[in-house]
Amino acid sequence: MPLLERSAWYDIARDTNWTPKYVEVDELFPPDQSDPYGIPVAEWETFDEPYKVSYREYVSVQREKDAGAYSVKAALARSSYYEDADPAYLSMLKLHYGAIALSEYAACQSDARMTRFSKAPGMRNMATFGMLDELRHGQIQLYFPHQLVSLDRQFDWAHQAHHSKNWAAIAGRHALDDVMMTRDAVTTSVMLNFAFETGLTNIQMIGLSADAANMGDFTFSNLITSIQSDEARHAQIGTPVLEIMVRNGRKAEAQQAVDIAFWRIHRIFAILTGIPMDYWIPLEKRDRSFKEYMTEFVGEQFERQLLDLGLERPWYWDIFLEDVETHHHCQAAATWAWRNTLWWNPTGNVGPRERAWLEEKYPGWNDTFGMYWDVMIENIRAGHPEKSEAVGMPAMCNMCQIPISNKGGTVWQARAYQLEYEGRLYSFCSTVCKWIFELEPSRYKTFNTIADRMYNGEISPNTPESILQYMGSGVISQGGRDAHDLAWVRAYDEPGATPRLVAGS
Amino acid sequence: MTETTTRSSLRAGPLLRGGEISVVAVDAIAEDNPGKEIHVDDHRTYVRVEAEGGLVIRRATMERLLGRPFAMQELEVNLTGYSGQIDTHDEYMRWYFIKH
Repeated sequence: MPLLERSAWYDIARDTNWTPKYVEVDELFPPDQSDPYGIPVAEWETFDEPYKVSYREYVSVQREKDAGAYSVKAALARSSYYEDADPAYLSMLKLHYGAIALSEYAACQSDARMTRFSKAPGMRNMATFGMLDELRHGQIQLYFPHQLVSLDRQFDWAHQAHHSKNWAAIAGRHALDDVMMTRDAVTTSVMLNFAFETGLTNIQMIGLSADAANMGDFTFSNLITSIQSDEARHAQIGTPVLEIMVRNGRKAEAQQAVDIAFWRIHRIFAILTGIPMDYWIPLEKRDRSFKEYMTEFVGEQFERQLLDLGLERPWYWDIFLEDVETHHHCQAAATWAWRNTLWWNPTGNVGPRERAWLEEKYPGWNDTFGMYWDVMIENIRAGHPEKSEAVGMPAMCNMCQIPISNKGGTVWQARAYQLEYEGRLYSFCSTVCKWIFELEPSRYKTFNTIADRMYNGEISPNTPESILQYMGSGVISQGGRDAHDLAWVRAYDEPGATPRLVAGS
Repeated sequence: MTETTTRSSLRAGPLLRGGEISVVAVDAIAEDNPGKEIHVDDHRTYVRVEAEGGLVIRRATMERLLGRPFAMQELEVNLTGYSGQIDTHDEYMRWYFIKH
């Protein structure tokens, strides 16, 4: 029996709105959960998702995708790829799975909110599939690292990091809670589906796949591009939402939601993606620099889409472009110096050859970030590797929960942006994080950074050991050390291979 | 349509993952967009296919090139992303910009 074409029945099947008789509309769709902007239901009923899918199609297409990912994994499981892999590459996987796997469940809850509270039938329909997508992503990204726990216990963090008090997990949760977990269905969609999933997930899920394939890890590169094909569909929930908001005089609110979420997620993703791309992937296997990927996927692709929908570039676009060349370099040095606080083993991997590459991709690197590394390298070469490890707690940003830092060296730009509010002094990494706080102080003011928790006695006693224990290091599994046991520093023993010579000054 | 900000370009099109369907899809796109200058940028795990103003791919073309029935939504398996806006239909999929 021939089936009807989807287009013949889709609109009717999707039209699930009704007129409530027993409750008021505001009881069915409380504005603070549903739509605080007061856009009429008739407007929401015009929501027409551009990327359509029926349940029958969803099941058959996703089954094919997942079968593909699992069969690649099964076929390659008999190789000794992970046993033989570069330990710094394994760190990229540990960071990815620890940061992403359980965050997918958080995204699932966000989609569930849209499924229940959106007034737009089409949005509820698409968010149902989005919810299923995120559940599948959580499951598959727990299953894949699970096989690696017996190889390396740090892979246990895939299942643990999200619920731990590790500083990086706190930073991730703070951003995700702000963007995905604590907003109404409409704002969540703009922040999650558009700013996050349309704007930034491509960097990790497509950009990094090229590096993974160059490393020979087809299991991972195939997995993440498969996941991204789901994102590419459900991210489209955001497009009609933005169109309806702009048409109903809510452009300013939509723009603000984009501006908040884009910055918050960028600050996390630059660490997640930028450091592995520019530091951990061996030089000869690097496809392009983080900045080049950001230019392709954000500076060009996302920017065109943003402007096409009638929005503007975020007001801080110039600051953002500067941050793309700064933030992850600062954090590469800082996280490496504080490596025992991590759930992965970072490599320094800034030998003379790598520095030449960094200088080419980021002109001025040697005279700024390079000078942080000079000190650490000199200490190691002088026989004092312990001096390359930071002790104590850095100043943390009261918004992004990431150590406050900026360019050092000859153009010293490291400073905190401070604000006194209700008698408490808050410090921020940037004017953008400060701006987000000032938009809604009551939302953020009571949160304590991990440094605050040390000073207010929550972490007690105030010793390096108890801080690590608080963060789960040595409890869930061991905290980080240099992935190559500092072997990369030996490259400086070659004649003429001094950092300053490479800097050309 | 007036614009307040100038865009860097108006290229739109799919990002395809590796596999047979993607290879055929690139051929189909070439057939379905006569006269367009199509940019195919191969990054090993994904191929960026774009043209100024956008691209379309048709089910009929995919069926002929594959030599078998093809449902347009099957392309989702290989469609890891895209630039521009998307429009999905039983008979075609297209990538475009609202504002030209």
